[in-house]
Amino acid sequence: MSRISRFLLLLLAPAAFCVVWTLRISHAGTPPSRPVFVATDHGTYAALAVPPRGSSRAGGLIVAFRPAVEERDIERALRQAGVREGRRGGYGTRYLVNVAEDVAPARALERLRSMDEVDYAEVNGLVHKDAAQTFTPNDPRYNIQWNFRMVGAERTWGIQKGSPTVAVAVLDTGIAFEDYADPRTGQQFRKALDWEGTVFLPGHDFVNDDDHANDDEGHGTHVASTVAQATNNNRSFAGLAFNCALMPVKVLDRDGFGTFFDVAEAIDYAANFTQNGQHPVKVINLSLGGDGSSEDVRRAVDRAFAAGVVIVAAAGNDGKGTIEFPAALSGVMAVGAVDARKERAYYSNFGPQLSVVAPGGDCGRNDSQNVFGADCVWQQGMNPDLVAIGRYDSFVSLGQDGTSTATPHVAAAAALLISQGITDPGAVRAALEQTAERLGGAPAGGRNDSFGSGLIAPAKALAGLGLNQGPND
Amino acid sequence: MKLRIAFSFATLALLPRAASAGNFGVEAQGGYFAMSATKSAKAVFDGSSGGATFGGALRYVNVIRKGIFIAVGARTFSKSGQRVFVATPTGPVARLGFPLEARITPIFGTVGYRFFEGRAFVPYLGAGGGVTKYHETSEVTGDIREENRSRGSFHVLAGVEYGKGMFRVGAEGLYSSVPDSLGVGGVSKVYNEKDLGGFSVLGKLVVSFGR
Repeated sequence: MSRISRFLLLLLAPAAFCVVWTLRISHAGTPPSRPVFVATDHGTYAALAVPPRGSSRAGGLIVAFRPAVEERDIERALRQAGVREGRRGGYGTRYLVNVAEDVAPARALERLRSMDEVDYAEVNGLVHKDAAQTFTPNDPRYNIQWNFRMVGAERTWGIQKGSPTVAVAVLDTGIAFEDYADPRTGQQFRKALDWEGTVFLPGHDFVNDDDHANDDEGHGTHVASTVAQATNNNRSFAGLAFNCALMPVKVLDRDGFGTFFDVAEAIDYAANFTQNGQHPVKVINLSLGGDGSSEDVRRAVDRAFAAGVVIVAAAGNDGKGTIEFPAALSGVMAVGAVDARKERAYYSNFGPQLSVVAPGGDCGRNDSQNVFGADCVWQQGMNPDLVAIGRYDSFVSLGQDGTSTATPHVAAAAALLISQGITDPGAVRAALEQTAERLGGAPAGGRNDSFGSGLIAPAKALAGLGLNQGPND
Repeated sequence: MKLRIAFSFATLALLPRAASAGNFGVEAQGGYFAMSATKSAKAVFDGSSGGATFGGALRYVNVIRKGIFIAVGARTFSKSGQRVFVATPTGPVARLGFPLEARITPIFGTVGYRFFEGRAFVPYLGAGGGVTKYHETSEVTGDIREENRSRGSFHVLAGVEYGKGMFRVGAEGLYSSVPDSLGVGGVSKVYNEKDLGGFSVLGKLVVSFGR
């Protein structure tokens, strides 16, 4: 090997490695803060960081002088570089300066760097908070909703607030969703006050067999409000999937009772509802249940599941180790309740079919120390005193507890996942179960009968998976 | 790492004196890399399991005896995709729209044999090992998630080289394996795919020094 060859080798060999390492560095860096390329008077290009709109503090040049440099030399140097104004930092001879309008910043920077007096000079770039996005609604009573904080609602909303093309059908006592005078009974129904902008799909009243699924009991309105009460409208409370649509479907009468036949009919109605060629109902909320079982309901559940609908149901409020029907069906996510301490609520049924838990509250406690003095799940609701005498036109802040109030948290979380793109009902269930916060000593990835897979954590579920990164990494 | 690279350069620079018939070469490599973890890659990379790869290597030919060569080098492969959700290996892939980038950087050493060394057309075979570095980063609305890991790897390769004198061109097929580098979490765990290796098809430009 000749000397020239060896010389070339020594030059080229490191270059071969540099190709790889240089690329690595360029990929590994943090994203630049909106660089812009500015033509200088040399015809070259210099990259300068530009502050985002609305930021008034960034910009200018940072210039540090060597310790021994005197003030008059500093002033002269800055003047020669084209500096118009500046201010001295509190420590050492550091200056934040702005250059005159007729001097290109890159040119001034170049001049400063060439001066013996200058230790260093650089663009006054920007830093930004490196934090996950959150969303805090301005609804005045949101701060009472301890239940939403428990499931990480603000981070969840930072990711997904729901889509109006995804609807949750609330099969319940109806929803106070319209102003309506019932010609048969003469009763006046009023739309609850905090549905501003909420989309309601045409529902059905299977109890009275008409298309006005208004609430004559109050339960359904409270449940629906947990799902999608108008949010960030500076009024009342928030809803967890507030941009999603609701479908009122009445299957329970004014005493809170319904039949298997009507529930099966309602499931089929919701799952088969078509609008603009689409099936918008992606989630069915069943804050209801009972003993016994029904083949008719089971088959309706199976049909809905096959059609891509997530069905969630309350585990029951007897505090016993048996999950009620239809929550116990394999095609249904059975939802138990926890109180504000993340303890299993005293009333919450439990068992092997329990999928997850959500805040159901305990109105007899106030561990959340909210100003209403009770760990209920608080939402807008119908005035119970007036409902009792047949009036359905008055609304209040209403606190309720039970697996009925836990269930719409899961329905809303499912609707958010679907809005994000996880549309398969089995995948929605898996995402919620895999990312749930394990409670009661359940091992990571495991479950127990008291809490199922644990407390839902929709923000984690929404984040999904990387190539080698799990949802909890 | 710097010390190791410096040591490698020093060793290679000294070798020719001991083997006067040998010659050094510098290779620039570029080509296509297809990951073995096909399902995982297709899930996060929107249906593709491969992409461009490039890098470089130093080599010394005619070590100990004619035809035997050694090489050290590195390549890089990076690809952008998005975070997804997959519940089961046979379940649908839900694409969530959160950007993800993965980068695989194998740093390797190879020992091999070049047939018909000295002729214009030279087939060769080789095998070796090294370290493969893996970096994955994704962002979920401001929440940046990063993962870095390094695992031992091995590879086998076959190729042909054509040319006489200082400049040569070549083509190479390479299979690499990086056991237990995937499958820790994410979709690779769902699919039970544990290897970051794969097949590479590379084109090479070689600058050779010496006879």
